[in-house]
Amino acid sequence: MTKFKLGLAAAAAGSLLATTAMAEDLSVWMRYGENERNVLDAVIAEFTAQTGIGVDLFLANTDFETRLARAAAGGNLPDVVVNDATIVGQLLEMGILSEIDRDSFKGADAIYDVAWESTLGPDGRHYGVPISAQAFAVFVRKDWREALGYDKPETWEDLFELARAFTEDDPNGNGKADTYGYVMPVSATRGYTSWFLSDLIWQAGGAFVEESNGTFRSTLGTQEVATAIEFGRSFICAGYAQPAAITATTGDATPVFSSGQAGIYRSGPYHNAPFSKEPGSDLIEVILPPAGPAGRGSLAEGEAAFITVTSKVPETAQTFIEFLVSESGQRLGMAEGMDSSPIVRLSVNKNVDTLAVRGDEGWATFAQQFAEAGQYFPRVPNWKPIRQVTADGFNRILADCSSDIGAALAAIDEAVNAELDRQDVLIK
Amino acid sequence: MLFKLRVSPWVVPWLFLAPALIVFTWFKFIPIANGVLMSFHKVKFVGPDEWVGLNNFQRAFGDGALHAAIGHTFLYVIISTVIGGILAFSVALALQDQARHVRIIRTAIFIPAVTSVAILAEIWRIIFYPAATGVANSFIAIFGVPAQGWMADPDQALFVVILLEIWKTVPYNMVIFLAGLAGINRELYDAAAVDGASVWRKLWHVTLPGLIPAFSVVIMLSFIRGFRVFTEVYTTTGGGPAGRTEVIMTEIFKTGFERLDYGYASAVSFLLFAFTVLLTVVHISIKNRIDRF
Repeated sequence: MTKFKLGLAAAAAGSLLATTAMAEDLSVWMRYGENERNVLDAVIAEFTAQTGIGVDLFLANTDFETRLARAAAGGNLPDVVVNDATIVGQLLEMGILSEIDRDSFKGADAIYDVAWESTLGPDGRHYGVPISAQAFAVFVRKDWREALGYDKPETWEDLFELARAFTEDDPNGNGKADTYGYVMPVSATRGYTSWFLSDLIWQAGGAFVEESNGTFRSTLGTQEVATAIEFGRSFICAGYAQPAAITATTGDATPVFSSGQAGIYRSGPYHNAPFSKEPGSDLIEVILPPAGPAGRGSLAEGEAAFITVTSKVPETAQTFIEFLVSESGQRLGMAEGMDSSPIVRLSVNKNVDTLAVRGDEGWATFAQQFAEAGQYFPRVPNWKPIRQVTADGFNRILADCSSDIGAALAAIDEAVNAELDRQDVLIK
Repeated sequence: MLFKLRVSPWVVPWLFLAPALIVFTWFKFIPIANGVLMSFHKVKFVGPDEWVGLNNFQRAFGDGALHAAIGHTFLYVIISTVIGGILAFSVALALQDQARHVRIIRTAIFIPAVTSVAILAEIWRIIFYPAATGVANSFIAIFGVPAQGWMADPDQALFVVILLEIWKTVPYNMVIFLAGLAGINRELYDAAAVDGASVWRKLWHVTLPGLIPAFSVVIMLSFIRGFRVFTEVYTTTGGGPAGRTEVIMTEIFKTGFERLDYGYASAVSFLLFAFTVLLTVVHISIKNRIDRF
């Protein structure tokens, strides 16, 4: 009995010690999930080995910004936040970011300038450090395509025809009409419609906004944008998109591709690893986005690391980020030789050769797309509300096969301009 | 007894209530008060909030998206209350027997009421999957009806979600009606039978008047539930397609947690709260008036 009590006391003391140690660790929140857990553990283990600084890591893939807002409102923010670089505007509006001084940042020169640009605030200063870049390309079921005798789609027409064939010509050969062509996550939730259609808008030669000296005006009411939206809608109205596309988020859409219900999916390099497992690496291929009337532009995004204004250890936080973008940090983040999704998709460090590390054709396609036709969202102060109003509007158009696209786009134009005005950056 | 604690009698009930009161104060009353304060501010996440007076409330009265959501919510409440009420009443009449097989059916019918909404929503998404192979579409195909879009069709989505609400609440309401039915004095039925009343006459003159308290509870609960509906919509359609299932709470959620506009979201929440209180007061006064007859 006494022994048992002693043991308990020791355990209690141990956990107390552990808690004290945790409190001194650098608190880091990242918008990743379990797929990236292994690689993050490796990155942090190496950082701790080099510096002796412990890291208390919190991962959340869903509702990340909401959790962050709650933490901010409760005065309980982490020291470092890693999230999409596009979020910089919203985090700035929330007032939780501290400025990054490029001159005092070790290894700043090794980071590509175009990547640095993704963390600029509207005042021209940096509020984050890019740690990874990527552009979107298209996953295709290679076995289906070859079974039906099609070449890789290179144009919109090819893409539409392939989607038709995947839907109507029984690509899996089971004699049932149980497959679909294009997987489209076009729910308005969190702005997915706008995020997904952005590629088509650029491929058609359209644009979200025009810029003049840091001020903007919506340019969605154009023929090019109408062409893009109409092309997107044609998949849904012809029945070549997965059912329920109109209310699907990526969470709903990804399993449709991986489980073999549909054969074409526009996504980022982060899906290379999971899709290689299911449906399987020999069944899929990554192709450059099929070109529209104006080319094959697609969304470029990146992740960035931010230091919060409330951090009591900003120097330590900066040390951690300096490690993330260093050569060894980037290599580790790319999950070299690991069974894990990478946190670094395309390296932002000039001294790391992404292709040499990957040695994989799929990655080469993503890298090529990023270098040649990657396109960032416009750098308005806060993109998120604009993404939401455009998504609400586009979703309305996609939901009704007979609606007047031009009139609907004019209404979205107005809504975007109203939001730009609210952000004090509307061209008057 | 070893010792006797002397406390004045009025303290005793408060002592018993204290644990619950402390928990409620901490987790309910203080957050509610904070919410009310927030509705007069533009909430900043770091540093002091900015006082904006009644701006947030004024904005609510000119917000088109919110007005559309209010319209959908009213439709949701009215249809689910009326149809859900009638169905629950019919089921209760059919199942008020004490036989064993009836008890089994009653239990089976009650299952949706005790299942998590997230699971019900997933079942709904499976049943109403808009492909021709979907469960509902396969069923209507037997009668030659073409495949429908269900929750992917802007004109049908709201009604499919309302159907979920009805499916979920009918068992609850049924139990309330069953309790009400059990409380009706059997002698009234006997007296009516002696007077030669038909089944319909008994229903009209004995059952329905006897069930007024039950109806009142069912309607009130259904209204309160309906105006605050969130999970059912968020987990099935997320407010889409084309914003046609957006209700007040999903709109508040979007404003608060996606646009992170806490002040405005709090203001709209406060208006919804005030409306619910008003509704309750009106309901109670109507009920009291009926009770006097």
